[in-house]
Amino acid sequence: MNLERIPNEEKLGLSRRYYLGGFAFLPFLWLVNVLWFFREAFLKPTYTEQPQIKSYVKKSALGLIVWVAVLTTWITIFQHFRAQWGEVGDYLSFTIPLGTA
Amino acid sequence: KNCVSGGPAPDENSSMSRVMCVSAAAGVLSSSVEQKIYVELNETVPCVRLLNATHQIGCQSSISGDTGVLHVLETESDLDWILSSGPHPPYMVIMETAFFNRSVMMRMKNSSRVAGVAVIVSKTGLADNFSPHTTCPNQNTGVYSASYGSDLANCNVTMWNPLGNGLSYEDFAFPVFALKDENQTQVIRKCYQDHNLRVNGSAPQYPLCAMQLFSHMHAATDTVTCMRRTDLQNRFSINPEVLCDPLSDFNVWTSTRPLNNSAKGHAANESVVIAATRLDGRSFFWEQAPSAEGTVSGIVTLLATIQALSPVTQEAPPPRNIFFSFFQGEAFDYIGSSKMVYDMERNDFVIDLNNVHSMLEIGQVGLRRGRSLWMHSDPVSRQNKSVDTESAAAGLNLTVDQPSVSQPLPPSSFQRFLRVRGIPGLVLADHNTSFNNRYYESLYDDAENLNVTYPPDLSPDEQLVYETDAAKSLAEVATLVARSLYIQAGGEKKNLNNITADPKIWFLHQHVSDCVRLLWFLGSGPPQFYIGLGPRIHGPVHSVTRFVQYILANLTGTVTNLTESQCQNPSEVNTENKDLFSYFWVSGPASVNNTGEPFCRSASVRLSKAVSPAFELLEYGSPNYSIIPQSRWKSIRARIFPMLTLGVGVAVLLLSLLVTYFISSKAELLFSSARETPATTY
Repeated sequence: MNLERIPNEEKLGLSRRYYLGGFAFLPFLWLVNVLWFFREAFLKPTYTEQPQIKSYVKKSALGLIVWVAVLTTWITIFQHFRAQWGEVGDYLSFTIPLGTA
Repeated sequence: KNCVSGGPAPDENSSMSRVMCVSAAAGVLSSSVEQKIYVELNETVPCVRLLNATHQIGCQSSISGDTGVLHVLETESDLDWILSSGPHPPYMVIMETAFFNRSVMMRMKNSSRVAGVAVIVSKTGLADNFSPHTTCPNQNTGVYSASYGSDLANCNVTMWNPLGNGLSYEDFAFPVFALKDENQTQVIRKCYQDHNLRVNGSAPQYPLCAMQLFSHMHAATDTVTCMRRTDLQNRFSINPEVLCDPLSDFNVWTSTRPLNNSAKGHAANESVVIAATRLDGRSFFWEQAPSAEGTVSGIVTLLATIQALSPVTQEAPPPRNIFFSFFQGEAFDYIGSSKMVYDMERNDFVIDLNNVHSMLEIGQVGLRRGRSLWMHSDPVSRQNKSVDTESAAAGLNLTVDQPSVSQPLPPSSFQRFLRVRGIPGLVLADHNTSFNNRYYESLYDDAENLNVTYPPDLSPDEQLVYETDAAKSLAEVATLVARSLYIQAGGEKKNLNNITADPKIWFLHQHVSDCVRLLWFLGSGPPQFYIGLGPRIHGPVHSVTRFVQYILANLTGTVTNLTESQCQNPSEVNTENKDLFSYFWVSGPASVNNTGEPFCRSASVRLSKAVSPAFELLEYGSPNYSIIPQSRWKSIRARIFPMLTLGVGVAVLLLSLLVTYFISSKAELLFSSARETPATTY
């Protein structure tokens, strides 16, 4: 969808929907929000709805950073300690590599 | 406005067909390109991974195979080249026989420059002894433990296998294969000599000969983990991957008086003397276990015993029954005997432990020194009344000696019976303190280890009936065992002279491949006694087990005149009893005037399942039973090929990208043919 041809109120509505949708454990919606509306929020000349779009983009970015931090930490811990956890590690795993601990 | 074309233009058509033609040709040519690069090595034997309660043992390769530059290990300087000074690590070591020992293998294990090992299996350069088994076989699953004969446990008194280096129980992170075929080894050596030889101390140049070994094992860590993961896969995965399988096969048993197979538990009015031996062996490599002294000597002796006893037990039957049993899987913590004892305890077998009067086991009996045979008994539970062998040994060319009173039993199936009940019993062996077998549980425990030699000018048929010294020696042991069993079963001593074993039964070892071919076994060479897994290519039972079963049926059974369908359903015939006998449809002997008509033979020979009770009880960490599964794998193969540096590969890639770019930019010039105006609509 090309943002050029949408009226500003619709842009605001889209950004808000993406922002709210990300709270349903969907951080990729926040990622899309940030990437898609970045130019609209920060690089375009000012228009009425821009401050709100800017705030949505900033909050989405914040939520995205939190998710990335949590996921990175968990993935690192899991990859490092899964073998040592024995039974718990096996029950947590979806696919267990063959032939290694 | 978009332009819409009505269909592919004819010149596009011809280029399409050209592309398809080229790709089809490439498809045809690609398999032979692979054959031009890789030489598949078919006659190799891998080392596979086994697990136990706490460790993994055996060898593992990467999932896409391990590759290394070939180097033949012939001298000490080769070892330094591989481990420290060679410029093209990692190396794939072609190990001469003399270097296959613990110190070299442990140095390889600790080095990061070794991608894998291929051991040349031959007799040249073979050391005086080689046993990859442990020094104290089955030390945790025998009868001696902290609570029973604790000073005798863990081989404190007698080290049974002092020459053991424990290699079979180490964990290697690289693949180890055995090269058994001399022609194939020559191919590898030639590749090495053409490309990889050092010239005047300088390193060889690329292209070098390299080898790739694939033996990726699925199982890891220990039995509990492996069975848990298999369980998870079976429950939650769409395509379950089985990671390991318990070792399983069948024990073979028979008795002089038939036992009712459908009546489990205590058999009324039966007092039984058990005569047992083991049916299996192992070595460092998968499914290789010639086990001549370790196993075959016992099997052949017991078969000869059975043959010697069968006429006398028909004419003058002793009061007690004699129960002959061949236990499978004894190399792996007594799989077969622990299963039989377990079944007896739970009243799930034709007899139970109250029926057992005593036990006589035949251990390794092939390498007697002089005339002596040793009679081992358990010092803790020693009963005063033991097996009477003096009258049995009268007139034979052997003496039966007893080891010192404080010496424990050697590793034997009898120990599993003692764990549960203090039955009187003996283990007969050719050794006093430690094994005479210098190649215990290894690839080299073969006929040569038993000194089986024939005069040079005999044909194979003549060899079949020639009585070698080894055969005569085993026949004497068998005669002794048969007579002792007869006395132990309460038979009268006046019949003893009629019991003699026939040395010609020795044909079993040397030429069993001929006989076994009758039983759908398509292998060649001497039989291998590794227990293996459940379902197999030629049926559910291991070929050796099947062979022993049929030999026993031949020795002890009677010919019936049932037809084939009656033979398969004997319950319909009211003169036959399916509970007491089993029925075999066999082909007759081929002779001049007889083309080998098949007939039905009935015998009281049965198979009983030999899988560790731990797998039935689902106690995968059990210290009481064998918990040794074998890993599964997808593919095991080996191949050699000439290896080029990474630079060459990158150069080829860049060149091909350039050529592709060039061709695509000049496509109109290169692929133009007679132009026709396409029918297009705008």
